[in-house]
Amino acid sequence: MTTSVEAGVEAPKPPAFIDIKPRRGQNGWLSQHVGTAALGGFLGYILGHWLGNFIGSSYPYIANSGQNSLAVLLALLFMVVGWLLGIGALNHPIAKILGREAKGEVEYTGWTRYFRYNLDHKVVGIQYVVGVLIFFFTGGLLAMAIRTELLNPTVHVFSADTYIKIVSEHGTIMMMMASSVVVGPLGNYFVPLMIGSRRMAFPRIEAFSLWTFIAGYFVIFSALAYGGFPTGWTGYAPLQTQAGPGMVSYLFGFAVISVGMMTAGFNLAVTIINYRAPGMTWSRVPVFVWSIIATAALLTLASPVLTAAGLFGLLDKTAQTSFYVTEHGGSSYLWQNLFWFFGHPEVYIMALPGFGIVGEIIPVFTRKPLFAYRIAAAGMIGVALLSFFVWQHHLFQSGIDPDMRPLFMLTTELISIPTGFIFLVGMGTLYRAKIRYEVPMLFCMAVYFNFLIGGISGVFLSDVPVNVTVHGGFFVLSHFHYTIMGGLIFAFFGGLYFWLPKMTGRTMNKKLGLWHFWTMFGFFNLTFFPMFIIGLLGQPRRVFSYARNLQTLNEFSSIAAFFLGASFLIFVANLMWSQFIAPEKAPANPWDSLGLEWQTATPIPHYNFERIPVIMTDPYHYSEVGAPALADFGNGPPVHASSAVAAAIEPEQ
Amino acid sequence: MSSTNTNPSQEHHLRRIVVIWVALSVVCDLLYWIFIGPHVPPGRMTSTATANQFDFNVLMVIALPVMIGVWEWLAFAALMWNSKRADMPESVGGPAAAGNRRTEVSWIVVTTVVVLFLAVYGTIELYSGAGSGSGEGPNPILQPAGAMKAETAALSGSGSWAPYTNAVLPVQVIAQQWKFTYRYPTFGGFESPYLILPVNTEIAFNVTSLDVIHSFWAYQLEVKADANPLQNNVAFTKTGQLGTFEVRCSELCGIWHGAMFNKGKVLSESAFMAWATSTESKNAANTKLLPPFAWSYVPDANGAAGGFYPDGNVTPYSPVEIYGSKQPS
Amino acid sequence: MSDAFKAADKIRISDTPEEREFELRAHIGAIWSGGRLFIGMYTFLLASLVFSYFYLRSSNNGILWRPNHVTAPTAYGWTIYTLTLLAASMAIFGQARLRRGNVSEWQAAIWVGVVAALFALFMQIWEFTAVPFYPGSSGYASTFIGYSVMNILTIFIVAYWLETTVARSHWLVKEFRGVEIQFSKHPSAQSFRANVASMTYFMGFVALSSTLLFAMFYLL
Repeated sequence: MTTSVEAGVEAPKPPAFIDIKPRRGQNGWLSQHVGTAALGGFLGYILGHWLGNFIGSSYPYIANSGQNSLAVLLALLFMVVGWLLGIGALNHPIAKILGREAKGEVEYTGWTRYFRYNLDHKVVGIQYVVGVLIFFFTGGLLAMAIRTELLNPTVHVFSADTYIKIVSEHGTIMMMMASSVVVGPLGNYFVPLMIGSRRMAFPRIEAFSLWTFIAGYFVIFSALAYGGFPTGWTGYAPLQTQAGPGMVSYLFGFAVISVGMMTAGFNLAVTIINYRAPGMTWSRVPVFVWSIIATAALLTLASPVLTAAGLFGLLDKTAQTSFYVTEHGGSSYLWQNLFWFFGHPEVYIMALPGFGIVGEIIPVFTRKPLFAYRIAAAGMIGVALLSFFVWQHHLFQSGIDPDMRPLFMLTTELISIPTGFIFLVGMGTLYRAKIRYEVPMLFCMAVYFNFLIGGISGVFLSDVPVNVTVHGGFFVLSHFHYTIMGGLIFAFFGGLYFWLPKMTGRTMNKKLGLWHFWTMFGFFNLTFFPMFIIGLLGQPRRVFSYARNLQTLNEFSSIAAFFLGASFLIFVANLMWSQFIAPEKAPANPWDSLGLEWQTATPIPHYNFERIPVIMTDPYHYSEVGAPALADFGNGPPVHASSAVAAAIEPEQ
Repeated sequence: MSSTNTNPSQEHHLRRIVVIWVALSVVCDLLYWIFIGPHVPPGRMTSTATANQFDFNVLMVIALPVMIGVWEWLAFAALMWNSKRADMPESVGGPAAAGNRRTEVSWIVVTTVVVLFLAVYGTIELYSGAGSGSGEGPNPILQPAGAMKAETAALSGSGSWAPYTNAVLPVQVIAQQWKFTYRYPTFGGFESPYLILPVNTEIAFNVTSLDVIHSFWAYQLEVKADANPLQNNVAFTKTGQLGTFEVRCSELCGIWHGAMFNKGKVLSESAFMAWATSTESKNAANTKLLPPFAWSYVPDANGAAGGFYPDGNVTPYSPVEIYGSKQPS
Repeated sequence: MSDAFKAADKIRISDTPEEREFELRAHIGAIWSGGRLFIGMYTFLLASLVFSYFYLRSSNNGILWRPNHVTAPTAYGWTIYTLTLLAASMAIFGQARLRRGNVSEWQAAIWVGVVAALFALFMQIWEFTAVPFYPGSSGYASTFIGYSVMNILTIFIVAYWLETTVARSHWLVKEFRGVEIQFSKHPSAQSFRANVASMTYFMGFVALSSTLLFAMFYLL
């Protein structure tokens, strides 16, 4: 064994992960940026469409569409590949074939870096903020269209065909957005800062997830150009098989998004496991990081099932297999099982990060330690584990094996135990605290208010006898809007108000923020609470006409929904005003938080921490006399830590 | 919890919260049970509607105290523990505020007990309610007495139903884009665009589809069962009141999903018998043209997977051969 | 926004040796846990296929799970399976040689593996021309097509991972100029060895999973 050979080596090049001196990227127009990505996508689309028509020329065209599914699929596939090639996502994977290793992260400067394949997790976080907001507002506009149609049971604004397209696009876009809405922006931005890391484990994979996510937006939106798809976001099978080429956009779009979800979750999970600063034991990890690692586990393990389900659907559409065609040896239940096996973990992908944000913000404004920290972490892990065992509650009325129902009723109701932990944690932290009601805190209180309704209505849905009344109606629609929008989206906006001062160095206007909060909170409840009653009174989901006696409630809900939509205009106005028009410099730690992410300078230096901090304790020692210092930011890891490192490096030798 | 808080107005919060919570919960539960519960949809037209309405109310009576408790706590936080209150002392941190074993354990125990109770209660209600009106697939394990016999007889064409005999009436619901048709196997297998049912009778709904997945939702009857192509999804209920009811499709089935609804009627047993026999004889000529009664029907080449083979092959098998094995024995 | 950030960009950081060691350990750990997590991810992908196979097999809708027990061409199946197994075992046995210090034997083994995987990839695609049934003619036929597509992906990943690793090793050997990369404590060498270890572990997973899938689709 030769251990001291380095002495004789002529200075080998430092590898990527040590080369932390950033190199200047080329900022010229000829380098790769979003423009070349668009060009690549465009060329790829044309090439793929031609190729599809070439090899699939003998395939029957889809009736009344003049389209060949294979051409549509290959066009979209090549579009995504061209997009990724154009942005530069595939430069490194291709260079690796020649044995080249990365030369360190290219650091772009100036505003154009937000339009490039940037590996800095802080830039990716901000790119994700813009991405999810575009997703969210697109889906929101479609929601406005739905509520416009439902103003009147008999007078129709849209044709039945257009209406079902709008409903399907709304559902799908919102689901795609919601699965990344916190993990993408806040997870990517703050997880390294919270665990005291200077970087992500796999920055290329992190950037890859962002650009696939954006490609997914174009793919799912292309459905409208192909005549839409009539299946809603669940894409149930015989209807899926029957549908036109827009269905290909749906299936492929979900497959693309699922790749983005997998990669994002993969990178975050590995980062949290390995890049925690010295001293950051699992009992000192911030609760937001706990929520992100639970979510990341779900993202990495549940999304492949969606990829597979989408692949089978695409094969049904193009290679004319019969996975979901009961008449030909397939089964329409297969799609339902695969889809919901992904779909229910997905629901918790859309809930857990919200819990994490709330758990992070409430201690700051109550000036109290997080109550029962271990219970919070256990609750998140428990929810993540149980969420793999509940999927058949979506199939209670579908004619599955009836023996399964008591079992899935039990598992579904069991999952409310760990969910209840989150309430215990929140309520315990509020107890006898001197609470400052800043805008982020108000959003957190609203999360508890809304999620309570959403969660309790979930118990009704899990009960098979009551499920007969509420399944497939507006009751369940209202239920999941209360959990996803009332929970996650409220938490997301709370998180934005809370962390934007750190992300951009500019604080949000409080007055506009309060206006935004109260209008959003009020009109959200006015929009969706009547829908519980509408559902109980017998209105199924996704209908364009309904019983006349429900008109008043529907009108009420619609008008509230328009105001709810308008409340986001206040947010946009606030964002524009506070960030661009009249920016106000934020102090480094405006909320006086103990969180590690607030302890760095604002703006955050490229490598986050001048020295890798050594963590002394958990970040929740509020109002504690003689509390230990959070971390040692001074001199890097103390000697004892690094000698442990040296011993751990090559254990097999 | 910490005892360093000495402000008199902030003391005894816990006791006050509990008293208010108990009082509010009792009042709200009683108000709900007396004034709202009996009117909760879908009413009491059938056995399953009555039973499921009762279940809904039981869940609501359990849920209301939980919701009141959390909301009351939030209201306390907003009003009493607000930094804007002049008499509000500073927050107290330290290990006492970071957790309390007794609180945590009792929270876990209470939620677990409630949740397990709900699961057990739901299961008992599901079993005692013969499936509670939900679709149970082709081989229902939960069914009223005599249902299996009536179903088997109906398929072989030897089934019969007469008023005031407590016999189970099998009805087939055939969903297609975008309407429901109903077949009465005990009356020669005639088809009707309206669902007419006798009162005080156990009905066995056999739901199937000719194309995509629909869901048969007889709202006031409290029956919901997905209609799957090539599958028989069975649900049971017992009618108890005369009147009309609505039938809606509650699973997205394409463009005109929103228009897929119609009305049905529960008649007295003798009136139903009169309607059924007269319709049977009136429709006899048409019924002969229908495919023989079966639990499901293979779609023709225009169905959901119509023309799926590139060579235009149609189904290379016979329905009897296939569905014989899937019928309830 | 740019001005504020330009100031931040100017900050340059020099690492302390402890920090370098910490980052190195984290990096090695990331390769280790990333490799395992990738296997978990891939397991769920393949499990969807296995679930579909047994779900359709047990429901046997329209007695069309597998009329006349149609089977995909077994000659192709055996060839692809053997080649995949060869590629995987080359990585596994090659690593034993690398541990003993023989880089060139490891390189030779991996290149054999790459060639085997590429040939398997070709055969897997070419098999589509020899399949004796319509994709939609039965449940088995459908799952078989799904399996073929997934197997193309699997073999592609195998070939790509083997090829990039061995190509990297040639550069490393050149850069190290005679210093043995299999023993060196230099970060590049450690990172390389961690990658080899993760890759070998994945190849073991591929050997197991492709055995299972091969048995399901060709033998059962």
